[in-house]
Amino acid sequence: MSAFFDAWPLFHDPALAGMLAGALLGFLGVYVVLRRFVFLTAAISQAAGLGVATSFLLRLMVVAPLLASDGHAAHGGTSLAESVLFSLTSPTVGALAMTLLAILPITNGRVRGNARQDSYLGVVFLAGSAGTLAIGTRIVQELQDIQSLLFGSAVAVLPSDFKVLAGVAALTLGVHIWGWRGFTAVSFDPDGAKVRGLPVRLLDLLLFVSLAVGISTSTRILGALPTFGFSVLPAIAAVQISANVARAFIWATLFGAASGFLGYILAFVHELPVGASQVLVAGAFVVVAVVAAKLRPGAQRPVPKQA
Amino acid sequence: MQSPSAETARPKSPQEAKGRPVVDFSHLEVGYGRSAILPPLSGAFERAQIWGLVGRNGAGKSTLIRTLLGLQPAIAGRIARLEGLRATHVPQRHAYDLSLPCRVVDFVRAGLDRGWSFLDPLHVRRGRAKVEQAMLETQTEHLASMQFSSLSEGQKQRAMIARALVVDPDLLILDEPTSAMDPMSEKAIFELIQSVTVQRGLAVVIASHQMSLMFGLVSHIVFVDADDGIAICGKKAQILGSDDFRRHYGFMFEGAP
Repeated sequence: MSAFFDAWPLFHDPALAGMLAGALLGFLGVYVVLRRFVFLTAAISQAAGLGVATSFLLRLMVVAPLLASDGHAAHGGTSLAESVLFSLTSPTVGALAMTLLAILPITNGRVRGNARQDSYLGVVFLAGSAGTLAIGTRIVQELQDIQSLLFGSAVAVLPSDFKVLAGVAALTLGVHIWGWRGFTAVSFDPDGAKVRGLPVRLLDLLLFVSLAVGISTSTRILGALPTFGFSVLPAIAAVQISANVARAFIWATLFGAASGFLGYILAFVHELPVGASQVLVAGAFVVVAVVAAKLRPGAQRPVPKQA
Repeated sequence: MQSPSAETARPKSPQEAKGRPVVDFSHLEVGYGRSAILPPLSGAFERAQIWGLVGRNGAGKSTLIRTLLGLQPAIAGRIARLEGLRATHVPQRHAYDLSLPCRVVDFVRAGLDRGWSFLDPLHVRRGRAKVEQAMLETQTEHLASMQFSSLSEGQKQRAMIARALVVDPDLLILDEPTSAMDPMSEKAIFELIQSVTVQRGLAVVIASHQMSLMFGLVSHIVFVDADDGIAICGKKAQILGSDDFRRHYGFMFEGAP
């Protein structure tokens, strides 16, 4: 353990990145779990994958020939037009654009109801994974880049990626903590919220966009496994022991942050894969929370039946 | 062409409010897409009136309620709502997800937000007195720390009515408030509805199949039947005496006025 903290300057970015992603996705995971779209995380990861692959394909098939015909190198163009072209076809833009496109039918109300949303997310997952594989045959050389860009590694996090994750986490958590009553109202009583004049469509759109951005950012930096784990397990644990949704948010954020950080230490001490050990710690919180909920005084309290 | 939705000026005093409808609808057609499921309906809900909404399952009651609440657009006709109308509704019992962790006091508090008030961190704290008053009126204060999911059906309904009352509504619409209840609990809920209507001077609309209790409470009735193309409304005696109503429910109310 002391060896870990002795080498803290080396590990502080990935360890804190795990903690930040855990806190962010732990908080947002309360919506994922209680609104019953656990599959959203997997579907968004695959949509992001398709977005990255499409970006590479566009660079290879459109941008590079265009620049080559202008007499420039395909990489590292200098003019404004070249910079714009490279920015528009960057993997980050591609991933974000594709995830936002994927969640659009849910946010605009075209896909309603848990069953239909579940089916839709299944289609997104399959279309994303099949599309990525199909495009992969055209960009063989970039496939390795896609894997590393898409499914980042929780072991080593670049300082620039850490800054992006910190920015996304701060912004998203800030918006969600400030407007949490609105987000919960439209999530758990949409008709009541609409009757009371809350901006239901806007809040739902913001919720899904923040989920898409949080999940795709974490997937790209830390990888798919810890991202899926953070967005489901801390929330499941929190809901077990919380008396209300507000407390569930607090517990889920703490469980997520602890899973990210302790999971990294566990991986260091026992030489385990980082993402897997972060998920195992989050899973341990679920087990403890389930047991605690069963042992809680009053858990079996008889319910008065008078009207 | 008439505007489908409009606002009428809010009265400046209780005296002025008397007799002024909170919702006034004329030639209103409700349905889905472009298809109306009921004939045009005209009427007005006023303060301190209790309306009963009657019709068999699938008759169009919930569609009419959703249209009056603005949850879905009208096919045709006009709805004039009081300026700044505070409408709330108590949905059917399965509308709330019982897997949510939620104490009764949290459930009632969640009804406080209107418009953009959720951005004000102190809004709920300022509304504490309204929450306490609503829970007192509905006799749910002793349930405050219990989980909503653990309540009996009657207790749940009381908590749902408390949640609807915390915004000081002008109009309260209840959709089958006594389904799955025993007769004693049904009676208690109807007495509660009557009590809050009198105390708060609300306009109330109740959709229910519990006719014997409901008809002892309401002053006006809306009767709808999508299959037979019926949509009529008016004073209780007038509707109960109508041929359409007698043809459908006469067997239950022999000798009704």
